[in-house]
Amino acid sequence: MNLLADKKIKRSQEPMASAATPDLDPGSQTAEAADRYMSRGSGPVARARTQVAAGLKPAAGLPDLKPMFEVQDLNLYYSKFQALKHINLTIPAHQVTAFIGPSGCGKSTLLRCFNRMNDLLEEVRIDGRILMDGRDLRGPQTDVVELRTKVGMVFQQPNPFPMSIFDNVAYGLRCQGIKDRVYLRQVVETSLKKAALYDEVKDELDKNATKLSGGQQQRLCIARAIALQPQVILMDEPTSALDPIATLKIEELMNDLKKEYTIVIVTHSMQQAARISDKTAFFLLGEVVEFDDTVTMFNNPSDKRTEDYISGRFG
Amino acid sequence: MNKSRRLKDGILNGLTWLSTAVAVAVLLLVFIFMFRRGWSDLSWDLITTDYWPQNLNVAFRQGEAGAYTAPADLAAGDSFSTLYGFALRDATDTKKAKTLIITYVDPDSPLESAYITTAGSQQGLNQAIHEDASVQMLYYQDEDGQQVLAGLLAGDDAASLVQKLDTGSVSIQSMYYQTAGGGIRGSILATLLLIGLTLVIVLPIGILAAVYLNEVAGRNRLTALLRQAIETLNGVPSIIFGLSGVVMLFPVTQLFGASGQSILLGALTMAVILLPVVIRQTEEALIVVPQSLRMGSLALGATRSQTIFKVVLPNALPGILTATLLSVSRVIGESAALIYTMSTVVTDNPKILQPATSLAVQIWQIMSSEQPDFKLASAVSLIILMMVLLLNLTVKLITRRLSRRWA
Repeated sequence: MNLLADKKIKRSQEPMASAATPDLDPGSQTAEAADRYMSRGSGPVARARTQVAAGLKPAAGLPDLKPMFEVQDLNLYYSKFQALKHINLTIPAHQVTAFIGPSGCGKSTLLRCFNRMNDLLEEVRIDGRILMDGRDLRGPQTDVVELRTKVGMVFQQPNPFPMSIFDNVAYGLRCQGIKDRVYLRQVVETSLKKAALYDEVKDELDKNATKLSGGQQQRLCIARAIALQPQVILMDEPTSALDPIATLKIEELMNDLKKEYTIVIVTHSMQQAARISDKTAFFLLGEVVEFDDTVTMFNNPSDKRTEDYISGRFG
Repeated sequence: MNKSRRLKDGILNGLTWLSTAVAVAVLLLVFIFMFRRGWSDLSWDLITTDYWPQNLNVAFRQGEAGAYTAPADLAAGDSFSTLYGFALRDATDTKKAKTLIITYVDPDSPLESAYITTAGSQQGLNQAIHEDASVQMLYYQDEDGQQVLAGLLAGDDAASLVQKLDTGSVSIQSMYYQTAGGGIRGSILATLLLIGLTLVIVLPIGILAAVYLNEVAGRNRLTALLRQAIETLNGVPSIIFGLSGVVMLFPVTQLFGASGQSILLGALTMAVILLPVVIRQTEEALIVVPQSLRMGSLALGATRSQTIFKVVLPNALPGILTATLLSVSRVIGESAALIYTMSTVVTDNPKILQPATSLAVQIWQIMSSEQPDFKLASAVSLIILMMVLLLNLTVKLITRRLSRRWA
């Protein structure tokens, strides 16, 4: 089948579909989706959905969560191209929030707004507000360097610095001028433990970090972010460059980490979103189509486009 | 594959092969030529002795006669002193005057125990007498305990002087002689000084400028213009920089107390010549540093300058070392710009604020004098070649060690 052509058709139908959605009965939609799954057999999405449906997570959301970020009518332009359109979202604290959607839909762009990495790109224009603890992230009173110590980030490709494991984890603290060796040693140790890497590297902290395996490198990058005791960890497709076993380890790690940190993760894998996240936002062409509890989203999506995406019709 | 296609293929392959062969052959020929001409003049003495001949009065710590045997390869006309272990030859110097040249000194000869008696700062220093020194006069003690004068001033030639010494002397007392000269120790020192000074000036400025262009300033019209200007400077012949150095940089050296041409002026001029090279090389090294490292550093709350100095520059170090190597090679090889700024007068004890010659300029000076000495020029060239080779190997070694530590 010509996937590209299929995608184009889908895109051209989208406005129509979105216009039609409110009129549709959500119940019939789910029934339709269920039928589709039956005919598809056991695809990966179907499996993910079965896991969710099997009651791995409570179906009810947690309504009284403290918000970490409040995104209010955010628009972002790359010179003339509008990458984000009127985004309104509330990211809850101590939860894993997943951003899903096809490539180029703006989910990574929004993620980078939370630690203002978009500042580094030229010709980026942003309007709207992002509140963190009630304060505007882009306001004059926010120190971007300090913000990035509170909002850590893990990238798609593991990017350890070509220096020792110890120096990698201590990097952020040293940048803040902390030189106390005992304290650094202690923080490096606890961070590596929290990132589930300590047992593997405890005897070779002087080893060059680039000699670690890909999965170890990514956990090192997580340890490096944790060392700064952030409130939030942003993850931009953290497992897309890793093998399944390394991916599993990182996913388990995220489950542990959400007790202490708020996690926002961009992922291309819907199973991953289903497995690890509490809330999921579905992005399409720079808009948030749907934002809900993961369980609700995967079992009972309220938008036709979400339905189509998570059932593998496109993207 | 049909016939004509095969033929075309063969011709093209043959052309690449031929071109490589020609290039290698030419390079080999140059090296062989240099070695054949220069090897005989190349010696430890050449590297360690002064250029200007020196007249010295010396005495001997152990001047007593011994018993020495002549070396097997002693030239036919040379007279060998069996009591003192050296050989003499009659010769004429460049002014057609008669001289007595020492052609061989036994390692245990009394001549090795000489020390300077001329009044001055060098008095008392050991000054072993080497081959090519020309003997003016010599005092020896005869069997009756009398001091006897011998040498050119006493009308001796090589044979008669050796005869006098070997029949009826018990020890040699003192000698007045002229060192051979023609050594390049001073020029080597001046070259090293020039390299050091140039690097101290050009590296910080060049590297920081490259950091500004590549890391701090955005890619806009102004930086594009700056880059274009730097590229253009790269193509300007060095002799023009030499001329402008004399005019524009001389006042700067005056601030430090220079009164004319000096090594400092040469170094400043070389720094101006090398600035584009260093900026360009460093920029290329910076571009190769993965963007993900910069992002990673900034995302950890590092400031931009922390990112640059802790992550970006260390990763660009191999490229920066290449820039350094290129600069040093250029300094060693440059002559046009230095003729004006550092002078062509060979100096034995170079000082930063005084004129001196680098090795390359000394070659120019040797070859443009009234009696060009091609062999000496070739020997100096060989030394330059060896210096460049040694430097190349060192930088390769450092780069490999660094990349092993990091990759």
